[in-house]
Amino acid sequence: MNVVRLWRPGLARRERTAAELFGHADRLRRAGRHAEAAALVARGLEQDPVSVTGHLLAAYLHVARRTTEPARQEFQWVLDREASHPRALLGLARIALEEGDVDGGRAALVRALHAYPDFPEAQALLDGLATPRAAPPPGRPRLDRLRLPPAARALVVLAGDGSVVAAQPESASEEGLRLARSANLAAAALQRAGLGPLRRVIVAATDALHILRADATLALAVRLPPATPLTQGLLEINRLWAAAQHELAIARNDVVEAAAPADARRLS
Amino acid sequence: MSRLRLGLEMDGSSRGRQVRDVVQALAHAAAVRGALLVAADGFAIAADVPPAVAVEPLAALAATLGRDLEVGAGRLGHGAFQTAMFSADDGTLFLAASRIGFVVALAEPQGSVQAIRGALEEAVTAIDSSWAPLASAGSAT
Repeated sequence: MNVVRLWRPGLARRERTAAELFGHADRLRRAGRHAEAAALVARGLEQDPVSVTGHLLAAYLHVARRTTEPARQEFQWVLDREASHPRALLGLARIALEEGDVDGGRAALVRALHAYPDFPEAQALLDGLATPRAAPPPGRPRLDRLRLPPAARALVVLAGDGSVVAAQPESASEEGLRLARSANLAAAALQRAGLGPLRRVIVAATDALHILRADATLALAVRLPPATPLTQGLLEINRLWAAAQHELAIARNDVVEAAAPADARRLS
Repeated sequence: MSRLRLGLEMDGSSRGRQVRDVVQALAHAAAVRGALLVAADGFAIAADVPPAVAVEPLAALAATLGRDLEVGAGRLGHGAFQTAMFSADDGTLFLAASRIGFVVALAEPQGSVQAIRGALEEAVTAIDSSWAPLASAGSAT
């Protein structure tokens, strides 16, 4: 039997260049193999500590592994050398948004789009930060009269522009603002997926069930215990929604009635 | 009619194929139109979505939204986010956190919420279990 030798003995294995390591690391990153990719990037940066590609990959991998501060430093390192690097700007924008710095995130996205106008990811995120232009409700609806359902731990009423109208307890305001921002991002994602405007949100967390209902002028959100059956949660939000619509109708009638005597005087 | 785009095509490992299969299975579950696995950095590791849907912008939004929910829960002193559902007139977007990123499902408006959430949770469990041995390997950069 003939045996074919498929290797040559005695050849020393060539050490991979930094570029090769980064290339391999990027392939692993794209496959979701972040830990293996990070090890290769670290080796590559030992060989070439000033590689923009290496530092950008390092930044991506930190973000992918949810380690924010090192990611920020790596993106900043890239921007210190290439002030308009669009991917580094996008990365810093996303970190700013995570930290609640909407203005900082928006500014970085605008810079990225200025440098590279055909950048769908940056444009999508910018769309998700746009403040909805909602028509104000008629008159002054007493949405503060909405009562916290017995089973609920918090209730937040948001105007169509995302501002907090009422919160019970008052400390839930911050939660409401955060929810409004998440809802805006979700609305942008739904639009990108061709699914239409946002109507309801359900977020299940280990210690709470958050349910939100929205239209163009109003959003209501409740925080319920985590074991709340979904159907009960939806019933609660629908009941609150009906009560809110009732308050809006009262306010609308008040506006009409206030205008009526003035109209009568003008006609007489 | 769906389009399959995979970062995993470069990864010949069985683990990569397993994750690809998980995303495909979710995309073809009852009342589901498409599915993605998105890393927290916004890169779509695997995607099986209708042709009209652009993957990159949706992936960027999904990752940002997922991180917003994760970080927001921590900052407000709430427990970790598990799954989220965003419904619209023409369909629903489901999002769940996994070990290597976020799993996204795009569903029909009349789909059963419980069934789709169940399929999503199964997908997360499968991805997490296939990734567990190597997720802690390697060193940070």
